[in-house]
Amino acid sequence: MNKLSREEVEHVAHLARISLEENEIEKYQIDLKMLMDDVDKIKDIKNYDEEMLITPVSHKAELRKDEVGEMLDYKEAMKNVPRSNGNFVEVPVMINE
Amino acid sequence: MSNYLDLSIQEINKLLKEKQIKPIDLVNECFDRIEKNKDLNAFITLDKENAIKKAIELEGKEVDNPLFGIPIALKDNIITKDLRTTCASRMLENFIPIYNATVVKKLIEKNMIIIGKCNMDEFAMGSTSRTSYFGAPLNPWNKERVSGGSSGGSVVAVASRQIPLTLGSDTGGSIRQPSSYCGVVGMKPTYGRVSRYGLVPYASSLDQIGPVSRNVYENALLLNIIAGKDELDLTSSRKEVEDYTRLIGEDIKGMKIAVPNYFMSDIVDKEIKDKVNEIIELLKEKGATIDYIDIDFIENAVTIYQIIVMAEASSNLARFDGIRYGYSCENPKDMEDLYKRTRQEGFGTEVKRRIMVGSYLLSGENANVYYNKALQIRDDLKKSFEKAFEKYDLIIGPNATTVAYGINAKLDDPRQTFFDDALVMPTNMAGLPGMNVPIGFNNENMPIGLQIIGNSFEEAKMYKLAAFIEKELNLNLDPRGENNG
Amino acid sequence: MDSYKTTVGIEVHAELKTKSKIFSSSANNYGKMANTCTNVIDLGYPGVLPTLNEEVIKLALRAALVLNCKINKTMHFDRKNYFYPDNPKNYQITQNRTPIGVDGYVEIDTNNGKKKIRIHDIHIEEDTCKSVHSSNKSLLDFNRAGVPLVEIVTEADMSSAEEAMAYLEKLRELLLYADVSDCKIEEGSMRCDCNVSVSKTEKYGTKIEVKNIGSISNVGVAINYEHDRQIALLEKGETLKEETRRFDDKTNSTVLMRVKETGNDYRYFPEPDIPYVTLTDEYVKEVEENIPMTADKRKEFYLASGISEINIKKIIQNRTVSDYLNKFIDKKINLVIASNLLLGDIAAYLNKYEMTLENTKLTDDKFVEVVNALDSGKINSKIFKEILEDVMEQDLSLDKILDNHGVKEMSKDELLDIIKNILDNNEQSVNDYKNGNDRAIKFLMGQIMKETKGNANPTLVTEELTKMLEK
Repeated sequence: MNKLSREEVEHVAHLARISLEENEIEKYQIDLKMLMDDVDKIKDIKNYDEEMLITPVSHKAELRKDEVGEMLDYKEAMKNVPRSNGNFVEVPVMINE
Repeated sequence: MSNYLDLSIQEINKLLKEKQIKPIDLVNECFDRIEKNKDLNAFITLDKENAIKKAIELEGKEVDNPLFGIPIALKDNIITKDLRTTCASRMLENFIPIYNATVVKKLIEKNMIIIGKCNMDEFAMGSTSRTSYFGAPLNPWNKERVSGGSSGGSVVAVASRQIPLTLGSDTGGSIRQPSSYCGVVGMKPTYGRVSRYGLVPYASSLDQIGPVSRNVYENALLLNIIAGKDELDLTSSRKEVEDYTRLIGEDIKGMKIAVPNYFMSDIVDKEIKDKVNEIIELLKEKGATIDYIDIDFIENAVTIYQIIVMAEASSNLARFDGIRYGYSCENPKDMEDLYKRTRQEGFGTEVKRRIMVGSYLLSGENANVYYNKALQIRDDLKKSFEKAFEKYDLIIGPNATTVAYGINAKLDDPRQTFFDDALVMPTNMAGLPGMNVPIGFNNENMPIGLQIIGNSFEEAKMYKLAAFIEKELNLNLDPRGENNG
Repeated sequence: MDSYKTTVGIEVHAELKTKSKIFSSSANNYGKMANTCTNVIDLGYPGVLPTLNEEVIKLALRAALVLNCKINKTMHFDRKNYFYPDNPKNYQITQNRTPIGVDGYVEIDTNNGKKKIRIHDIHIEEDTCKSVHSSNKSLLDFNRAGVPLVEIVTEADMSSAEEAMAYLEKLRELLLYADVSDCKIEEGSMRCDCNVSVSKTEKYGTKIEVKNIGSISNVGVAINYEHDRQIALLEKGETLKEETRRFDDKTNSTVLMRVKETGNDYRYFPEPDIPYVTLTDEYVKEVEENIPMTADKRKEFYLASGISEINIKKIIQNRTVSDYLNKFIDKKINLVIASNLLLGDIAAYLNKYEMTLENTKLTDDKFVEVVNALDSGKINSKIFKEILEDVMEQDLSLDKILDNHGVKEMSKDELLDIIKNILDNNEQSVNDYKNGNDRAIKFLMGQIMKETKGNANPTLVTEELTKMLEK
């Protein structure tokens, strides 16, 4: 059966920030290939023109007045945070700074 | 126990107004029915305590609108403040939102009573509701069959008469296809008709919230209160909200209706085409004109749908990272570990598959090859629908290619769910309104539905045709056995 | 060594001066307690949607116009997808395909005359959260998440640290005077990233990005450091890799942050939650007409008014002074005197008491009175110094203040009496004058001024004295 290479699966898993168990990789090699082959059909479709539909609405964006609205109490803002630290949100040290 | 919930909304409204019943009677009856139908797995979360509190609160208030005091449940991807909202995912298993979706605010304003949250495919990704972290809901017509999806729970709850009204969401048929499988009325309104603020997005340019109901009139009543411009949703339309019941009961004579040839092609089971053909004959007999037409690119809808839906999903679901809310993996050793294990452990297989393919489709040069081209064809498809609506009032056809299939049918082919929705996706692509109205059963007593597609913002016209068919057929759509009533 | 050419391109992020954020109505405030200026949109909650602040479009359009850009009148937003803890949705809403402005330029002064630095594009985007780090964790503050930014990207048109600094000074002046941003580098409301490369040939060298440079002068330091560092490596026969470096202001050097992955994979696609934004011709015209006077126009005008170049520089450096001065352009007052006052005695007063003009009692009318009084010789600068505190602190007209200080304008008759009296008592000096001794008149003037306690208008005194001596 047609399948993606291990590296290709690992690459898209990294883009999506999903770690994969050893036993999943093989399944995804097949699954992802099936889906990708399917969407490849688009290459054969001839479109009318280059115009793109980014949203189906025909109206233009209406702009908001520059006024300050309601804000969250910081306790409320922290309510669902898995790891908070005082009134900050805590994460493992960021690597790129 | 009383059976007020078997009455029509208008009858219930009359009883409430005359103070013959109280909202609490409806709430108690509703929870009683839910208890009896537990095995159908239609709900993920119930909110009995607050529902009762709200019902009692309403006793002192004037019954000022047709939906006052009526119990309602919401698909679990619609955000409810202080009420768990899971999207049927482990990722949000314990997530208690701190704000309300705009539709929820509207329901509360009209004093509807929110009973709980309905089961669904995880993050609305699926066509059978079997990707739910909480197990699949069952089809009340045959518990060995799927409910359809992704709004399976919303549809099952109404079909089994546990509750008269629910809200679902429809990205590529997720209201209409399960409605067809379970024999209820489901409407996906025009994109922009109902605010998406507070709907956890699957694919932002396709998602739309819509009503699920036992009959056409009640569906229109619910659309009346959820439709309208929302300052918090730039894609919501300023187009005036009309009374969507206003054309119900009118004659259909002279209506010009089109049937796309693709809708009656080999991809659809014969038993379904036969039923649709019966309806076509009926409509002709009653004075409508029916033409078979081609709609360019309609057969490409699955392909462009797959691309757009997975690409947008990969971006929309990126925010579930274990930092601000939701599931977060134990003892992350660094940032990458936090992201990768949280998402590995928090998302189910189907969701991960789509996110990965979506990321691939947008990566590097692929964005041009796939996503941008899909948007170009999408524009073309919309134009070819527009062309059809220059001539026709409505477009009809089946909603599903088959009736509900076995609950144990394999989930192996990752493409199956897309094929299931081949007939319902094109409307989402064009942003058009589409609905399901039941038109009968196959020989195994499984429901079959008709899809009605309208031009943008012409929901009232669709309800008119749907109500006409409903009245003509006068089907018994209550799946309960004699002991169940 | 000198055969190496340096090429610099600069990306500047400037925060826009708005009340609320770009996609939500939370306050755009600097320096508030962490996570107190947020809502569910800034936190990237599931289900939330962006709205779009009209002021952001206006200010970004202004910026695009002062940078001489072509305007994209139909534009949309794009999602830039990347995982990073300071990026709440893990995508940033920005403009990739249709930036609000493209193909502009900024003109700078160099040793070889004027030079145009081309602007590739200016686009609108949202700011990320602020983070603080310790050895094993980082802490996030979402107050900054969603603050509106414009990113201004130049072509690689600068060939030295001096040109880069001149560009940044000029850009800062343009944005500041258009009221687009307060451009405070120390508060992070203006941030510069530089791309520096060196090459011996016509081809560009390997691009090294330097981030986190905390002042314009440090941009110069960083570029010079990179110039030397890169050449030294090349001379050793090493090949350079594209990388991102951080400026370290303690050591005045740059430190490696990360080697660039092969092509940044930001997976851009059009933001479906925001429909197209269209800018009508009338709107663009209206915004253009309402751009505050640019620094260059102000300079031209001040020069024509006779203000010295040194003072002009000082005025332009202080936007408040320039704006205050400009209020009186139509009032036909002596702008030289006005600017001397503002930069001199008034500035000293404000400094001393740590005040700003708005919280003094110096009304516009009073300022005009003072300038005119000095201009006509009604008062002199010595008297102004005496009455300065009252002018600034009391709700009284200039005449009333002069009155309170016993400074009365002398009538002509009174003055003539005094002059006559002095001449009568100083016959020797009168004779000296008549014999052609010019110094005599200075002595007599001194005597008169002494007698009038400085209350007389010197011009008038000279005039009348001369007349009387000539009799």
